[in-house]
Amino acid sequence: MKILIVDDDRINSTILNRLLTRDGHPVVTAFNGRDGVALFKSEQPDLVLMDIRMPLMDGYEAARQIKESSPNRFVPIIFLTAVTDDEGLAQCIKAGGDDFLTKPFNRVILQAKISAMERIRMLHSVLQDQKEQLERHRDGVRHELEVGQHLFSNIVRTGNLLDAPCLNHWTSPMSLFNGDLLVASYTPAGGLHIMLGDFTGHGLSAAVGALPLAELFYGLTAQGFSIGDLAEQINEKLARVMPTRMFCAACLIEVDYRQKSIMVWNGGLPDLLIADGQGRLVRTIPSNHLPLGIAPMTREDRKVEIIEMQDDYRVFLHSDGLTEATNIQGEMYGNERLLAHFGGHTPPDQLFEVILEDLKAFREDAEQTDDVSLLEVVCARAGEEPPGGSAPRSRKDIPPAHWEMAFAFSAATLKAVDPLPTIINALMNLQAPEGHRERIYTILAELFSNALDHGLLQLDTRTKKTSEGFLEYYAQREIRLAALKEGHINVRLAHTPLADGGELRVRVEDSGSGFDPVQIQSHLEGNLDHGGRGIALVRTLCTELVYHGNANIAEATYRWTSQ
Amino acid sequence: MSITVTREGNNAVISIRGQFNFSLHRQFRDAYEKFPPTTPMVVDLAGVQYLDSSALGMLLLLHEHCGGEKSNITVRGCNPKVAQILQVANFKKLMKFL
Repeated sequence: MKILIVDDDRINSTILNRLLTRDGHPVVTAFNGRDGVALFKSEQPDLVLMDIRMPLMDGYEAARQIKESSPNRFVPIIFLTAVTDDEGLAQCIKAGGDDFLTKPFNRVILQAKISAMERIRMLHSVLQDQKEQLERHRDGVRHELEVGQHLFSNIVRTGNLLDAPCLNHWTSPMSLFNGDLLVASYTPAGGLHIMLGDFTGHGLSAAVGALPLAELFYGLTAQGFSIGDLAEQINEKLARVMPTRMFCAACLIEVDYRQKSIMVWNGGLPDLLIADGQGRLVRTIPSNHLPLGIAPMTREDRKVEIIEMQDDYRVFLHSDGLTEATNIQGEMYGNERLLAHFGGHTPPDQLFEVILEDLKAFREDAEQTDDVSLLEVVCARAGEEPPGGSAPRSRKDIPPAHWEMAFAFSAATLKAVDPLPTIINALMNLQAPEGHRERIYTILAELFSNALDHGLLQLDTRTKKTSEGFLEYYAQREIRLAALKEGHINVRLAHTPLADGGELRVRVEDSGSGFDPVQIQSHLEGNLDHGGRGIALVRTLCTELVYHGNANIAEATYRWTSQ
Repeated sequence: MSITVTREGNNAVISIRGQFNFSLHRQFRDAYEKFPPTTPMVVDLAGVQYLDSSALGMLLLLHEHCGGEKSNITVRGCNPKVAQILQVANFKKLMKFL
């Protein structure tokens, strides 16, 4: 251990020098405080023995300057003093001294003090190393979080329709990253898909799962898959990439303004609440599935709840962070407080704000322990476009060409999969008329579901006119589809180029017995009656729509021009 | 907070007291790992006031250890709050509840 002796008394200095050198310590000496400070800086000793009364600069001042010049390194200073009064010793400590040694020197005490200081110095240097390591680590983590957050916001925000006029949402991140994920996107048929996901844990580990989830959500929604399909595919992906103990409680909602329906798949999130035009709770949809990412899904697990939408409905969804938010007394906000707002005394258009205000007042300054998300869907505005319009799809223009595609679907296929996304994607990859995807999807979807629901399953649209009938319709549809043994649907698409675009002919034929041609009109009206979707809509989109046979063959012609 | 392991016939019973959260991660794993996957497991939550999502994650690890679909796990002694959390997560599809 390199030792600096600062003492103007040459005899003392020499004695100390000899003692220390004999013990193997390299020694440097200065004879006043000023030289001591200079020598300290140039020699960087590990310990300083400091006299007090010296010319030019006294020991107190020299000690102060030495301590100041090395704030991060622990260099013990031992004062050499003849004084033994409390006052004098206190001043040594105040000046930055770590110990003192009274004259005349006792060799054993000197050695003991030096080794004690050495131990403290070692301890300090280990601490310092660890501190630096921690700081480096912290900087690294912060850097990675920033990169992660950048990726996260790009993938989650791009194309997210959270500014859709019908949506109100609020999320409070408890750390740099939010474990709650909210995404929304339009379906090709004009419906809106919304998903709230709550990952186990918070921060980066939670957000990692958000990336595949958001990509699948947007991709599958754009391709026309249903929320049941989305749940299944996201579940499979998350189960594959996430560790066992991690999962994502999630609720998927589809609001279809034209069809006047709300579909819900809830796996692990708190009850979804639906309020009517008076702000009263009319329906709760509890979680009836496992959260995503735990186990493979069965047919039963794909099941969605279907609700007939009224225009004045408001749908509320929250993560458990809301009801489990605690106040300073450790009390939880709880479900009762939340439900109390839905008694019909709060104007429905204020519910969202009132709930948030109430939560804030309840929590006061209590520390937030979990992510909190609240989402409201205002059904009356579900048909409105977001301010910026739908996100444009960038695709290269394919020159109009002659082509034809034919599909044949057996009963077995129809029971197992929804072939629509496949058809529309094949079509779009072949021709991709910019900006026409939604219309073409709607035409195909309508003709196809007509063929399936009315042709093969013999369902009567008129049932849908009443609320009970509406639910009965979907219940019947499920039963009949499961029982379907025979029948087929053939779809043929033929495209002809025109001067400034093309003409697409869609022919959908089912093996059902068809309709009495006289009743077709009333059948169409019935379809129109509920929500405006249906054949009448197809008619407005097409240049021509004709029925052949017993109305079991529909042929639509759609002309498009490049924009 | 503590975890005790006892036997009731063929069953291994893991009893948890206090907050069931990530701080019990190692103890909980040590509690089940010494048993072969085929051992019927009972998780006694009578001493637990509250579960968080990391507790659900630990139950999933137990479920995986016991062979996933083939597992035989019973959860008992849940207070209403705990039962509600397990119900919202639909863990009844993975394990039995008493």
